[in-house]
Amino acid sequence: MTRHILRLIWNKKRSNALLFLEIFFAFLILFAVFTIVTRYMRMYQSPLGYQTENIWIVHMNLDPVTDTVATQDMKVRLKQELKALPEVQSASYSGFVTPISNSSWSTSSDDNGFEISTHMMYGDPDYMETMGINLVQGRWFNESDRDARYEPLIISKKLFDESFEGRNITDSIYNINGEKRIIGVIDHFKYKGDFAEEVNLSFFYGEDKTLDLPNLHLRVAPGTPAAFEEEVNNLVADITKRNDFRIEHLQTTRESRARQVWIPIVALLSICGFLVINVSMGLFGILWYTISKRRSEIGLRRTLGASRSEITLQFVGEILAVCLSGILLGIVFAVQLPLLNVFPIEALNYYIAMGLSATLILILVVACSFYPSQQAARIHPALALHEE
Amino acid sequence: MFSNYLKLAIKVLGRRTFFTVISLFGISFTLMILILLSAYMDAELGSHQPLSQKDQMIFLNRLMMTNEVIDTSYQIDTVMLDGVEVYDSTEVLDENRNSVSISSLGYYFCDNYLRDVAGADIYSFYSPSFSYDIFVNGKKLSFDVVYSDADFWNIYDYQFSNGRPFRQQEVDNQGQVVVLTEKAAQDYFGSMEAAMGEFIEIDGKQFEVIGLVKRPSNSKGFLSGQAFMPLTTLQPIYLDDDKNFQGPFEAVFLASSATGMNDIEQSIQQKAQQTALPDPENYNHLYLITSDFFGRYANSIFPNSDNDPEKSKRTFILIGGGLLLLFILLPTLNLINLNVSRIMERSAEIGVRKAFGAHSGSILTQLLFENIVLTFLGGAIGFVLAFILLHLVNDSNILGDTLLRINYRVFGYSLLICLAFGIISGLLPAYRMSKIHIANAIKQNNV
Repeated sequence: MTRHILRLIWNKKRSNALLFLEIFFAFLILFAVFTIVTRYMRMYQSPLGYQTENIWIVHMNLDPVTDTVATQDMKVRLKQELKALPEVQSASYSGFVTPISNSSWSTSSDDNGFEISTHMMYGDPDYMETMGINLVQGRWFNESDRDARYEPLIISKKLFDESFEGRNITDSIYNINGEKRIIGVIDHFKYKGDFAEEVNLSFFYGEDKTLDLPNLHLRVAPGTPAAFEEEVNNLVADITKRNDFRIEHLQTTRESRARQVWIPIVALLSICGFLVINVSMGLFGILWYTISKRRSEIGLRRTLGASRSEITLQFVGEILAVCLSGILLGIVFAVQLPLLNVFPIEALNYYIAMGLSATLILILVVACSFYPSQQAARIHPALALHEE
Repeated sequence: MFSNYLKLAIKVLGRRTFFTVISLFGISFTLMILILLSAYMDAELGSHQPLSQKDQMIFLNRLMMTNEVIDTSYQIDTVMLDGVEVYDSTEVLDENRNSVSISSLGYYFCDNYLRDVAGADIYSFYSPSFSYDIFVNGKKLSFDVVYSDADFWNIYDYQFSNGRPFRQQEVDNQGQVVVLTEKAAQDYFGSMEAAMGEFIEIDGKQFEVIGLVKRPSNSKGFLSGQAFMPLTTLQPIYLDDDKNFQGPFEAVFLASSATGMNDIEQSIQQKAQQTALPDPENYNHLYLITSDFFGRYANSIFPNSDNDPEKSKRTFILIGGGLLLLFILLPTLNLINLNVSRIMERSAEIGVRKAFGAHSGSILTQLLFENIVLTFLGGAIGFVLAFILLHLVNDSNILGDTLLRINYRVFGYSLLICLAFGIISGLLPAYRMSKIHIANAIKQNNV
């Protein structure tokens, strides 16, 4: 049976070549799109590690500092007064890099021959509570860290697993942008937002008066009216004596950032959907036509004793064989991407995408060829031969 | 002759409606997407206000300072030799870039080094990186403010619906004036008519509204502010920042010719080499990153580690062109496939025509013409679909300020796309058919 089908395909190689090419390219396009979509969806599924609901961030500009002490006092006072408002549940300062912004800060240090690279963020003792971060080991910063002999450091679990698994962290000092003592490990923190890969991250210690910590995070009570923002705005303007600050709603930023990813994904998927419909309709049409051309052949086979299901199987098999070889060639090309590591994308994404596109094409091909093939099987042998 | 072909083509289309529908579906959707894409590219890269003169502009929006020192770098390899760890280290002595700082320009730098760039007819310094929260009746408005000089308005041709831009004199005298976008005026004052001559509070100061501009046709971050004010109204610290090369500004230079653009780029590169850095201990090399409009656009989409806009342009064309080709390829193959089987049906007709002396060439023309008719029919449907989708996209604000329009240029592109699509998808089947043997062709009809 298989040899027979292969011979039939070879005999009609000219028209099959086009079909083969079409399936090959359809596979490549689907593979490319599914790789992108899979990558983003897998990122989206991994936990963010902090809360964004009801978090406001006051982005202040402290430069130029003319009077360091006065500015430091102002920062401490600002946090106290905002915290005193009943709507504000918690307040905390962080460094120039805030969650879901475009900023990033990274460092890599040589620690006795081990290269430790990590992204950097700053937080004060209230940061964990304000952002709802989950601690898995040790503790967060507290007041005692101010006078610590070695600067304290809190690292993410990813960095821990990568560089410190099985090593003593409680009593050791590591060189991470200077000598640091690791005091805690947090669960996750995807600071670049939902659609980003989690990176190694370390929190460096800062306090209210530190001038390098200009961004004040506020956790407001759920259900706080929007008008409250004006109150915060006036209070900040009043205390800082400046207007060039900006209040960001982290949830809004998160949503609009997610939309920037969703829109291209939806656009890509709908273009893909259209291509798939187009190809399957084409397949359907071609099959319909070929079968009507091959009525006499079918009639002959039926008279010689082929059953209906055998006829159906023959036609589905023919198309399936051509498509499978198209997909196979596609896979040969596609598999080069993970093997040669062309893009910095995890290899698993490629394999998932390959599986998805191959399955989708095969389902479509079977679905499109089944009906015309069944029609072919219904041809009455006497009628078909009579026409000849 | 062609009117005959046209009649025939329409007859053929009516004969097998199922196939016609399949073909038309493929053609119209493909062309719809291509038309939308060309409208989008036209909005992003075409000459529209305020960028009508974009082909004569050179942008200088980033400055890179590096510290390059001769340094020894160690490379240590650990090798296992006979079960013992052995260190194998190499020392390399070379120029090392150990610190890099990239940022937009400081006003001090613009003011002192960029005022005499050869080849530039006019130039403008402006800063698009300020934004203020303004509260009106408990509602928050986030205003992006562009601080600029007066020549800004001569380079970027914003369309004024009311009033006027601010003048050099107002810039020199720290005039408290502002130009708003129509939407900003609507949001702040309730109506556009009420805004003119009124005062708006920004950054703690009162500014008089002297002009209203229409929204720009795309969302270029550096042009899509809600308010435009004289740069002298900025906090003084940003203007007389003590010899700081970096800051929130960028510069644009307008040339009158292509050679002028070259002169500008060369003149700026010379300045980069000649200028002494204020703080050579920390940074000893200065690079000024210039680009034309397309370079700047491509670099924002495909940034590269060398900060070279030319490289980004190549990446953009390569990736964009490749994707486009792949996208067109599939519907074309599909259409060829369909056409091959459809045309076979007409072998008897072709056979008879050939028997009566028709050339292969004229058969080819006829079949190609029929296919082009089909493509244009699909193109017309695609055009209507694109038009509807375009309005949906514009209304939903998915693309921000970018406004998609079908203008004569986009229409021209669409016609071209249709023609190319028709020829490409019809050529192979028509060629096969025109080469068919007469005897075979006539006989095949009986099958």
